[in-house]
Amino acid sequence: MKKIFVLFSCIFSFTIAGIMFSQSTVQAAEKTYTIGTDVTFPPFVYANSNNKYVGIDMELIRAIAKQEGFNVDIKPIGFNAAVQSLSSGQIDGVIAGMTITDERRQKFDFSTPYYESGIVMAVAPKSSIQNLSALKGKRVAVKTGTSGADYANSIKDRYGFKVVTFDDSDNVYNDVKNGNSAACFDDSAVLNYGVKTGLGLKIVTKPTNTGKYGFAVQKGKNQELLAKFNSGLQKLKKNGKYAQIIEKYTGAAATSSKKASNQKSEAESHTFFGLLKQNKDALLSGVWETIELTVVSIICATIFGVLIGLLGVLPSKFAQGASTTIIYIFRGLPLLVLALFIYNGIPSLTGSKIPAFVAGIITLTLNEGAYTAAFVKGGIEAVDVGQMEAARSLGLPFGKAMRRVILPQGLKIMVPSFINQFIITLKDTSILSIIGILELTQTGKIIIARNLEGFKIWTIIAVIYLVIITVLTLLSKWVERRVKD
Amino acid sequence: MKPLKVDVSDLNKSFGDNHVLKGIDFKVANNEVVVLIGPSGSGKSTLLRCLNRLEEPTSGKVVIDGNDISDKSTDIDKARQNIGMVFQHFNLFNNLTVGENIELAPTELGKDNKEEARALAKKLLQTVGLEDKYEAMPQSLSGGQKQRVAIARALAMKPDIMLFDEPTSALDPEMVGDVLAVMKDLAKDGMTMVVVTHEMGFAKEVADRVVFMADGKVMEEGSPDAIFDNPQNERTKSFLEKVINV
Ligand SMILES: Nc1ncnc2c1ncn2[C@@H]1O[C@H](COP(=O)(O)OP(=O)(O)OP(=O)(O)O)[C@@H](O)[C@H]1O
Ligand SMILES: [Mg+2]
Repeated sequence: MKKIFVLFSCIFSFTIAGIMFSQSTVQAAEKTYTIGTDVTFPPFVYANSNNKYVGIDMELIRAIAKQEGFNVDIKPIGFNAAVQSLSSGQIDGVIAGMTITDERRQKFDFSTPYYESGIVMAVAPKSSIQNLSALKGKRVAVKTGTSGADYANSIKDRYGFKVVTFDDSDNVYNDVKNGNSAACFDDSAVLNYGVKTGLGLKIVTKPTNTGKYGFAVQKGKNQELLAKFNSGLQKLKKNGKYAQIIEKYTGAAATSSKKASNQKSEAESHTFFGLLKQNKDALLSGVWETIELTVVSIICATIFGVLIGLLGVLPSKFAQGASTTIIYIFRGLPLLVLALFIYNGIPSLTGSKIPAFVAGIITLTLNEGAYTAAFVKGGIEAVDVGQMEAARSLGLPFGKAMRRVILPQGLKIMVPSFINQFIITLKDTSILSIIGILELTQTGKIIIARNLEGFKIWTIIAVIYLVIITVLTLLSKWVERRVKD
Repeated sequence: MKPLKVDVSDLNKSFGDNHVLKGIDFKVANNEVVVLIGPSGSGKSTLLRCLNRLEEPTSGKVVIDGNDISDKSTDIDKARQNIGMVFQHFNLFNNLTVGENIELAPTELGKDNKEEARALAKKLLQTVGLEDKYEAMPQSLSGGQKQRVAIARALAMKPDIMLFDEPTSALDPEMVGDVLAVMKDLAKDGMTMVVVTHEMGFAKEVADRVVFMADGKVMEEGSPDAIFDNPQNERTKSFLEKVINV
């Protein structure tokens, strides 16, 4: 028994160490900064149809990096996660169309502003709403943490409307388009761009509450990066490159030329097959990431779960208490909270970064492992106590009795639960999109942010999940049959 | 005097507030067959289970074959190899064949190698009349067959003493005889046995001594004739009246 424990723990720690190592070996010679952003925010940041991250912010940061001689590693983790990861020191900077506010200044140091924008209101094309007063009693959609959201919240009592928040711009716009919300508030540049590229909303107010966009670093940290950004920005402004970038994404000519090119080879497909073909690479890499996450998590969670489950049936009050507590905590915590806590919470405490993939694996290992431990324990306890008594009465020690008599019977009881848990693990990987892991769900979000084909892309994603789940189920059933013999 | 196989003195056992065994003194000599009788809840099973420490005594001494079982430093696994136990509900290992049930402990504990264990298992199955069931799974056996396999399994460790806790209570009446026959043979061969049973016929025929328990105490003990024909204690009398009238 002890041997099995040791063996399991070895595999477990090797797996973790292996992941850590493989992540940490990717180190460039030139100084590389990790920059968080939100790639669902055109024209500032978005993924183009080749799934390259483009937009004003992306071109700026790349041009500045080139100018000043450093590398950037862009993490498309979403606005919320980017802001949190910056506070906890997981990333070095954030460029995501972030408005400079006094509140944010408490936690971040901002560069000189690189863009100025105001808030406008957009409504559905057929809507009769023309001004703020018409919003009384209606619902207004905004994106979490944006200045559009701040603005909406600051005036909602005066105009008597209700604010609903979404994590993605796409969901905000759709909510307005399908009539659930009467209007949305967003940056004028963002909405202008959207309207011109066929978003299907109309802007009905003038920009107000103008705000300045800045690049942010953690307060008091990475000051050399901030200085490089400022000096690079200044140089780009001088040599005309800055104006060029802005014109490219906001100028009338720019957007219409994009429209023109849209009709040609770069055109966004609108058929299932076309969408599949166009996004093949992104989807494949998303699928691969999902499979990798699933497989590594299943292995780690199973080992962790079995160990904790066995701990729970040892004839020691202390071991049982430890097992129960671990199960209670990690089964009780919502997966989302656990993921954010590990990815953002722990680094702000310890000061050392955790790669998103590793944080994701740890999250799933703890959560799925807790469920596994519970049914492992339950499965063992479901074996008649008489079996253990008979084995012990023959003189078999606890471990031998467990291994030869109890576990084989318990395992049979557990097999369906294991298969079930594997499938749940696969599905739960989608929650890790919150910490910016580019798995299938996050890939879908990013594609939709660009082409706004929510229904079709989510259908494709759903079908892919079902296919993987089917394969996983067949595989498990095959293993189950072999265990039964 | 023959050395004592079982020497229990002032044994107390409580389950929480429930004081189940109240100062039991209980001795069994070598080759002796003792039958334990008494009303339900009197503590017969608990006493039996204290003899191989399936229950931890609360206080008192349990010495088996000179080994102090109640002492925490005693290697209980080693001691148990010498004490066979047969349960009311057989408790055959459901994941193993009849043969494997019998061979598991001798091979796992290094008493026999594979071949020796197999030969022994076959021989034991023969003595309990089930030589054709070597490959069978427990689920395919009748209750009486299961109990005889369970006895064979306990005997495979070549114990010096066998404990039986109502071995025939869960059996259909027509199966009881087969199991009792096996136990009688064992007794004849000189096995030291402690048997909890309601089979008064078996007690009269096989027991060297009958012990009557009630309320966690030994109320009366003596030869089968003395206890059944001439009980002294009021509790014994009323118990026997009820049992015999059934
Ligand atoms: N594991 C246990 N936990 C708590 N109480 C127990 C436990 N085992 C036995 N008892 C209690 O101890 C008392 C004696 O039980 P025991 O099984 O020894 O009686 P018994 O004489 O064998 O009865 P029966 O003829 O019904 O088998 C009962 O009151 C029973 O409820
Ligand atoms: Mg009993």
